[in-house]
Amino acid sequence: MRPLARWTLVALAAAALVTFPYWSAPWESTRFATTLLRDGLILAIFALSLDLLVGRAGMPSLGHAAFFGAGAYAAGIAGQRLGTDQLPVTLGAAALVAALLALVIGVLVVRSEGIFFLMLTLALAQIVFAIAFQWTAVTGGSNGLSGVGRPMLATLDLSSPDLMYVLVAIAFVLSAIVVWGLARSPYGRALVGVRENERRMRALGYDTARLRLSAFVLAGTIAGIAGALSAYSTRFVSAQDAGLGNSVRAFVTVLVGGAGTLAGPIAGSALVSLIERVVPSLLPVELRISEAILGLMFIAFVLFARQGMVGLGRSAWLRVRAR
Amino acid sequence: MSLELVFQQALNGLSFGALLFILASGLSLVFGMMDVVNLAHGAFYMLGAYVALSVVQLTGSFWLAMLAAPLALALVGLVIEPLLLRRLRGRHLDQVLLTIGVSLVIVDVIGQLWGREVRSLSAPPGLDGSVTLIGGVYPVYRLFVIAFGIVLAAAMAVVYRRTKIGMLVRAGVQDAQMLAALGVDTNRLFASTFATGAALAGLAGVIAAPVFGVQPGMDTDPGLLYSLVVVVVGGLGTLSGAVAGSVLIGPADTFGKVLFQDVALAVIFAIVALVLLLKPTGLLGRIRVVR
Repeated sequence: MRPLARWTLVALAAAALVTFPYWSAPWESTRFATTLLRDGLILAIFALSLDLLVGRAGMPSLGHAAFFGAGAYAAGIAGQRLGTDQLPVTLGAAALVAALLALVIGVLVVRSEGIFFLMLTLALAQIVFAIAFQWTAVTGGSNGLSGVGRPMLATLDLSSPDLMYVLVAIAFVLSAIVVWGLARSPYGRALVGVRENERRMRALGYDTARLRLSAFVLAGTIAGIAGALSAYSTRFVSAQDAGLGNSVRAFVTVLVGGAGTLAGPIAGSALVSLIERVVPSLLPVELRISEAILGLMFIAFVLFARQGMVGLGRSAWLRVRAR
Repeated sequence: MSLELVFQQALNGLSFGALLFILASGLSLVFGMMDVVNLAHGAFYMLGAYVALSVVQLTGSFWLAMLAAPLALALVGLVIEPLLLRRLRGRHLDQVLLTIGVSLVIVDVIGQLWGREVRSLSAPPGLDGSVTLIGGVYPVYRLFVIAFGIVLAAAMAVVYRRTKIGMLVRAGVQDAQMLAALGVDTNRLFASTFATGAALAGLAGVIAAPVFGVQPGMDTDPGLLYSLVVVVVGGLGTLSGAVAGSVLIGPADTFGKVLFQDVALAVIFAIVALVLLLKPTGLLGRIRVVR
């Protein structure tokens, strides 16, 4: 396909995605699909940010939910304490707090690799979660933080289902553009270089520790924004948002979709959302096994299709073309 | 804080430490031998507690549960290692990822079989009372946990240093490939190591149940979280590291909760951070966790 045609197609798809509630209204009166898609897109932003680490920089973080949770709490608490619902303020607070937390944890973990990196991110992030869980005076503790303010832009209230969806969809499109641009930039290539051969990158004069730290902070910031969007959507922050379960969920999403690609985390979030939201409605009520299904699926992908759905698609396409 | 309170909390801290040792020793053993951090270790611990719950309900015997839970978990380990981990031998990170999937499945299956409510298991008759120690009343069961932890650590040290099995384990930790070249069946060795690690997690689950309860979420907190913290602080893959980590983290956590209440875990965070910055191998480890 010609570049121009390709770009037009992508732009049209993005426009169709952002305006979904408006053209789907005739057959989507219950707003089930809009809500499902909204939450799926929040997961996609979260997964895209994690993939900067897992897929690009080769940093398998199992603590990414700490930043998602930090953003969610920060948006809610900043709004309540500062007495404002203005989106720039609460979203800014979310990004800032998530970035600072990522800096603190990042300084401790970026010099470790592989299994050790995974273990340390898990432990440190989980401690943050436990603090949030127990610090009832600030975070609401195990009851969660309720009464998160509406997202307001000047006098425009974005909290209706349709506008909330549009906000999330725009944030998703922007994050995808940022991640795509980063991956093609010299910075993104340097991150891949660090993943492939860190010693060589160092010999070439790159400050690899700083590269890894900056990626960690950047990914944490985007995750924080995803967390804030989740807080606006449900007007609530659950302590589980910052917990290991949510970190695992993002990791499964990235890996099942296909790490190190743009389409992977997006495809992964579609599949994970379906398993979480649609499959339970097909099963008997007393059977609550969506986590186990995710787990089995994850095991199957790790064993047989480490490149994820995107990798499966790619090899299928190559086979078709070879015929 | 009065002196009695300090003493009482010190005992609480030690009994938590002893429990952490039972929990973390399995994780550390598996890592030492197989270079795999078993992220299903917390789920194994949880499963041990629930198996104990059922055994006690069926037979009324806590002691039987203390036998049955580790055995059940050893069986689980004997299935999972050959079925899943062996297929990815040498790909350590992918093996670790597999254990995440295993953990998700086990926790959901537990919820499905035993329900998702908070349950409790009482200490066995004879250990359910309390004694007076230095002016304070103290539950006997916690003293039992301390004694059990010490005996287990001593027994493991003896097995490690003085028996043929211990020799194999030490050799495997040094260089598993060389061991295979010398004709040792590493498939069997790895499967039994993984099963032993799982059994230790199950044992920790039974012993912890009367103190910490049996509930959803116990797989991560205290399960996986504290066992990871102990091995990072103490040092990965060595028995002495697991002892050092538990003896430090148990009391630190207990006193943190007394002194700082809600933000007690900041103490644990600070300890982990300090160790990572100053002693990247952990207190008594050989492997650098950060460069």
